Amino acid sequence: MKLNFSLWLVALLGVLPPPSAHCGPTVAPAGPRLPRPLLLRLGEEFSLRLGGGGLSSPVAAPDLFISSSSSSSGVNQALLQLTQRLLQVEQQQQEEEVVEEEKGKRSEEPPISLDLTFHLLREVLQMARAEQMAQQADSNRRMMDSFGK
Amino acid sequence: MSLALRAQLLLFLISLSSRMGLSRYIEVRSRFCFVNPFTVMVMCVCVCVWFVGCLDMLATDGFFTFVASRPQLACASFIIAEPSEVISLELSDVSIDCSAGDFIKMFDGWVLKGEKFPSSRDHQLPLHQRYTDYCSSPAPGSTSRSSQNVAMIFFRIQSPDSRFTLAVKKLHNPFPCNIMSQSPEGSFTMVIPHQRRNCSFSIIYPVEIRLTELSLGQAKSNELSPQRQVWSGCSGSGDYVELLGGNGVDTSKMFPVADLCFSLSGLAQMKIGCDNSVVRLVSSGNYINRVSFQYRLLEHNELPKTRENSLDNFCSVE
Repeated sequence: MKLNFSLWLVALLGVLPPPSAHCGPTVAPAGPRLPRPLLLRLGEEFSLRLGGGGLSSPVAAPDLFISSSSSSSGVNQALLQLTQRLLQVEQQQQEEEVVEEEKGKRSEEPPISLDLTFHLLREVLQMARAEQMAQQADSNRRMMDSFGK
Repeated sequence: MSLALRAQLLLFLISLSSRMGLSRYIEVRSRFCFVNPFTVMVMCVCVCVWFVGCLDMLATDGFFTFVASRPQLACASFIIAEPSEVISLELSDVSIDCSAGDFIKMFDGWVLKGEKFPSSRDHQLPLHQRYTDYCSSPAPGSTSRSSQNVAMIFFRIQSPDSRFTLAVKKLHNPFPCNIMSQSPEGSFTMVIPHQRRNCSFSIIYPVEIRLTELSLGQAKSNELSPQRQVWSGCSGSGDYVELLGGNGVDTSKMFPVADLCFSLSGLAQMKIGCDNSVVRLVSSGNYINRVSFQYRLLEHNELPKTRENSLDNFCSVE
């Protein structure tokens, strides 16, 4: 029973496109993408049950595919659950891509900062204050000159 | 003609040749002395700075034109006003190439070594709203108003003769919050009237702080306030004052050295031997809170001696 269920899952996965190999967000995925851990888990389960094989592909041995003449309700339910899970995963992935895109836009601006010591900051602050006081003194002098006339 | 006289004459000619406001920059790639052309009229101020990039500090109103004689990749200008003022910045006559990587960004606060003042927990705007980018699309930002008495601009100008003019104007702020002190000595009274916010007064010097008055928890009406519970420290209270010390400008990364959550009318003083000393008033918004304090620069012999073979990073407090 479990072997038949696993085989049906493998057959279903075999018609799905393989997951994307490149990094970064894709604009429009062609079809639902299974997260890699799920694929690996299925592959593991498949390979473990058959007593061998690697994790390279969940469809490791096509010659082991056995078509069942009649599908049981349990298998249908399992397939339905798998489909629902696939759709949920797709929705989550799309939401994550949107969030990542927004974060990418915000993170495009480099975190601007100056590696400035406090000593230098105080120096330029004192310069600016001296300039301000000089300007104020000049302004007061002009005011006094105009009052004196 | 002596060297000093020639330098003064040259600078006098430079100041006459500037078309509008002050054309100025400090550019250092190696150590040199920069004489401010404005102050040469009154007094000679020679300051040696050593910094890779270009840097300036503006404390006066006016129009300031920045002209790049050669590519300037990392430039910043700090702007500071009086504690009871906020700063209005406006860009005009901008001649830069945004598509080539030039930018001008105005920031509501100061950023120093990756730390922001005011910190994110003390500022009312999220970080991305504190930046105004001239090159942003679709709407380029050319005006900005600070929320406190400090602001700054960052700019990169790669083409020679690129320029822009910055108009600095100061506006009165009746209830200042988050202040950077211009001087290592002075006094201030900070008031938070029925506002749920935190305000910091930052002094970028090691100072002795004397709290002369602290009024917390004045109720809005004559209702009796509930018995204040005794907390370990004041962090459980809604309204309190804390003294912070650290070596950065971000108050959220500084060390609390003392806190007070009961009103006092006498003197309370503390020496903070850190690069930055802060008085921070935390307010729940239920009351009118007020703190008055004085501060003075610690003398060299008052600064704590660094202990040998010590692993402590924290600047000493007495």
